[in-house]
Amino acid sequence: MPEPVDPAQAKQAIVDYCKKRGALAVGVADLATVERIAPPGHRPSDLMPRVKSVISVAVGGQTRGAWQLPAKALAYSGSTEVRAYSIAYACAFFIEQRFGVPAVYVPPDLDPEGGPRVPLQSLKLHAELAGIGARSLAGDILLHPEFGFMYYASVFSELELPADAPLAENPCPAPSCVNMYRQVGRTPCMKFCPAQCLNGEVDEQGRQKVMRYDMAACAELTQEYEAVPKILAEAVKDEVRSQGAEGLLDPDRKMLWYKVSAGSGGWFAQCFECMRVCPIATQAPQSDPIYRSKER
Amino acid sequence: MASTRERLGVTDAMLASYGELIFRMSHNLQERTGDPVRLLDFAAIEAQREAMGLTDAQIAERLGLMREQVIFIRNWEESRRFRTGQQAYLIELGGGKRFRPERVVRLEDRPVYSEDAMRLRAAFTYDPERVREFVERGWWRGDDVLSVWLARHVKERPDAAALVQGDMTISYRDLGAKVARLAEGLRQAGIVKGDVVAVQLPNVVEFAVTFLAICRLGAVMCTMHMPYRQSEIRALLAHARAKAVVCLARAKDWSPAEACLALRGELPALKTVVALGEPVDGALQLQRLIERSSALDDRATPVPVASDPFLLLYTSGTTSAPKAVPLSYHSMLSNARLSAPEHRVGAADRILSAAPYTHLFGLYALFVAWSVGATLTLLPVFTPPDLAAAVARDKPTGLWTAPAHLAAMRAQKVFDPQAFSSLRLIIMSGSACPPELVGWYAERLPDCAVTQLFGMTEIQAALYTRPGDPPEVAMRSAGRVSPGTEVRIRSADGRTCAPGEEGALEVRGCLLFPGYFENAAANQEAFTADGWFRTGDLARMDESGNVSITGRSKDIINRGGVKFNPRDVEDLLDAHPSILQSAIVPMPDPVLGERACCFVTLRPGASRLTLEEVVDYLAGKKMAKIKMPERLIVVPEMPLTPTRKIIKSELKARYVPA
Repeated sequence: MPEPVDPAQAKQAIVDYCKKRGALAVGVADLATVERIAPPGHRPSDLMPRVKSVISVAVGGQTRGAWQLPAKALAYSGSTEVRAYSIAYACAFFIEQRFGVPAVYVPPDLDPEGGPRVPLQSLKLHAELAGIGARSLAGDILLHPEFGFMYYASVFSELELPADAPLAENPCPAPSCVNMYRQVGRTPCMKFCPAQCLNGEVDEQGRQKVMRYDMAACAELTQEYEAVPKILAEAVKDEVRSQGAEGLLDPDRKMLWYKVSAGSGGWFAQCFECMRVCPIATQAPQSDPIYRSKER
Repeated sequence: MASTRERLGVTDAMLASYGELIFRMSHNLQERTGDPVRLLDFAAIEAQREAMGLTDAQIAERLGLMREQVIFIRNWEESRRFRTGQQAYLIELGGGKRFRPERVVRLEDRPVYSEDAMRLRAAFTYDPERVREFVERGWWRGDDVLSVWLARHVKERPDAAALVQGDMTISYRDLGAKVARLAEGLRQAGIVKGDVVAVQLPNVVEFAVTFLAICRLGAVMCTMHMPYRQSEIRALLAHARAKAVVCLARAKDWSPAEACLALRGELPALKTVVALGEPVDGALQLQRLIERSSALDDRATPVPVASDPFLLLYTSGTTSAPKAVPLSYHSMLSNARLSAPEHRVGAADRILSAAPYTHLFGLYALFVAWSVGATLTLLPVFTPPDLAAAVARDKPTGLWTAPAHLAAMRAQKVFDPQAFSSLRLIIMSGSACPPELVGWYAERLPDCAVTQLFGMTEIQAALYTRPGDPPEVAMRSAGRVSPGTEVRIRSADGRTCAPGEEGALEVRGCLLFPGYFENAAANQEAFTADGWFRTGDLARMDESGNVSITGRSKDIINRGGVKFNPRDVEDLLDAHPSILQSAIVPMPDPVLGERACCFVTLRPGASRLTLEEVVDYLAGKKMAKIKMPERLIVVPEMPLTPTRKIIKSELKARYVPA
């Protein structure tokens, strides 16, 4: 018989373990809330039927130097999500070894049944409910008041853990962004988006009123896999075009284009321009890695 | 095999009915009001689910479709909407740059080369081994582009004089501004990269501005010699498929602009006529485009590249067998850039060309000058007194001239050594140079190098004598090869001639044109199997590599440096009611080098024919004056080959004095 586990102590052990491995923030989302908000097929229990906890871990984003890179390099230099995944992967083993219960690193991938924009699980929802990020005007990218822009990963386990609450305040929009909005009607992320995919409103208290995100425009610019079928279709000669082009749109094949493109290394998932101009992403108190390490 | 749609049961009507709706219901467009998830406002979360985007399964449920049908329709709609070439945007982002939509032209928004432009570009085929050599040896460079050269001079020497015409001096800064405005004016008139624009202008500021503006747009200039009239212009515009013409509003006794406007009906490619001078109904006014257009947006119109074609020149013949020479920046500008130091031309020089800019020898003056940022002094039209006055007034240091020009100067006694003392270099080209003429000028201008140059439209400047060459070389040869050029002299049996032996002159190198445009027969004749260009000239080479041109094997008539094929004149004459057969051969002339001598046999019943009657007849057919016969010889019968071709050499030998 394994010894009874104290949920609070277990949570602290998990948080300590993840931070030791490089996580900036760790939180636990309330399972019932996640189950209520996530759509059918994308709830934690759809993936792990006896799930009892949803752990969200986050790692830091870019250095100040990285923000100065051209977009084509920032896409690689700035993509540190793999570190978050490796922490979550290790965390799942840690839980199983330390507490003797099953745990799983949540696959940060798309749902083959859902299409190329629908994830198996919403890591964003987990992190938001775990209190380590809040939705921004920049297409709902999560931001943290202390750590700025981060990458997230999730772990499900059959270990009961006390849940955290969502952030009490949303750091977005920052005061300087509100000032800019008052003057020109746009925040920096809206103004400098190369696809002009961001739009929104700020209320009189300086809070988010409406966030509008043209994900199609964003994807058209930054996720070239959307264009692969079209590129191939245009390559098909006119006489076979009607058959060839539509064959490329077959649902069973569309995911292939994503896989082909994502694996090619020459394609982007994000252009980062909205984050490059975001004062929270680039100037949050602990977004500076040197400062951050001193704080520890 | 069933199609994808048949397997999924998706009809055109379903695509039309649901495409837009599914696109919007999916995650493509998201809208969130407030901050409901963070605040755990479940009612707001539920109310906003659709606005935040539904999965394909949720959409299928809402619309009563199969999930696979939703996915197909969504994919179809997304693919229909999505544009390709987005990476061009991403590459322009970051690294200190802010988003500027005008900075990037998407792949699918780039101007499309017209069918005619693609046909012209297809003419540029080179031996890959030769190209590799040209690039590796630094002969072909990526920055050999007129727009790049001009931009460099505007930046580095903005106040230096670029053009001088009479009292008017135009700095490189002003030239750059005029070019930018005219380029925008031409762009608004519909000229895009690859279009052919014909130009018939004298050597005036507007010629240089027009040429550079055409180049800035990536278009191709096709020059038409000033004497050309409607008959020649029609044939040339038709063959070049010119989209626009820039010409004079009015010449002495006719209106080129009106003539070109009248041709638009029969030449479908010709859309625009731009006239220099008084307003002409239906034509754009060149001065207005230069002065009143806004400047071209540099970012929206990419600068052409060195491999682009930029000239389409006609060597001779306009109606029977046009020989159009397509030329790239690579070949022409590399030749000029490499040759400038050989001619000892630098930025401080002032270059005057008595040769018309419609001729490649005249253009070579522009290229050499612009390769170093020198000044061009302009002589609109050559006459001996005008050239003498221009040299005295503008004090050029370099003079590009045909032997006929200098012979005329001497004959009219307008040459004053004192007035010509500014000259450091004379380059004579266009026809054979009498050694005595070279010596005469060299003796009177001791501080000036009187040099010869052998070139053709197909090769620009292949051979030239250099300043400092011994008098014997300067007087009796066309000099040595230009950098990047090879020549060989071949005997009739195909072997390389020994030094001093006469043979056919052949050329190859980085200056060589790719081949005549859409004239396979001419190309077959012009190139050897191993890629050498047959110049059609006879020559000898001495042991130092100096080449003397000894004669021409072609029938081209070279009237004062302007060469023309008399075939189209003969064709017209053969249709004359009194003429049975005609043949035109060159007649030596002490001033012009050659004039046209016309031989005819009369039809039975025709008793006589005069030169005046022949000229009047040709004038009525709108033939250019320059191509009019200047001597008429009626012969009882033509010397003929067994295949009934007229043996011109025999006519020449029998009737024309040497």
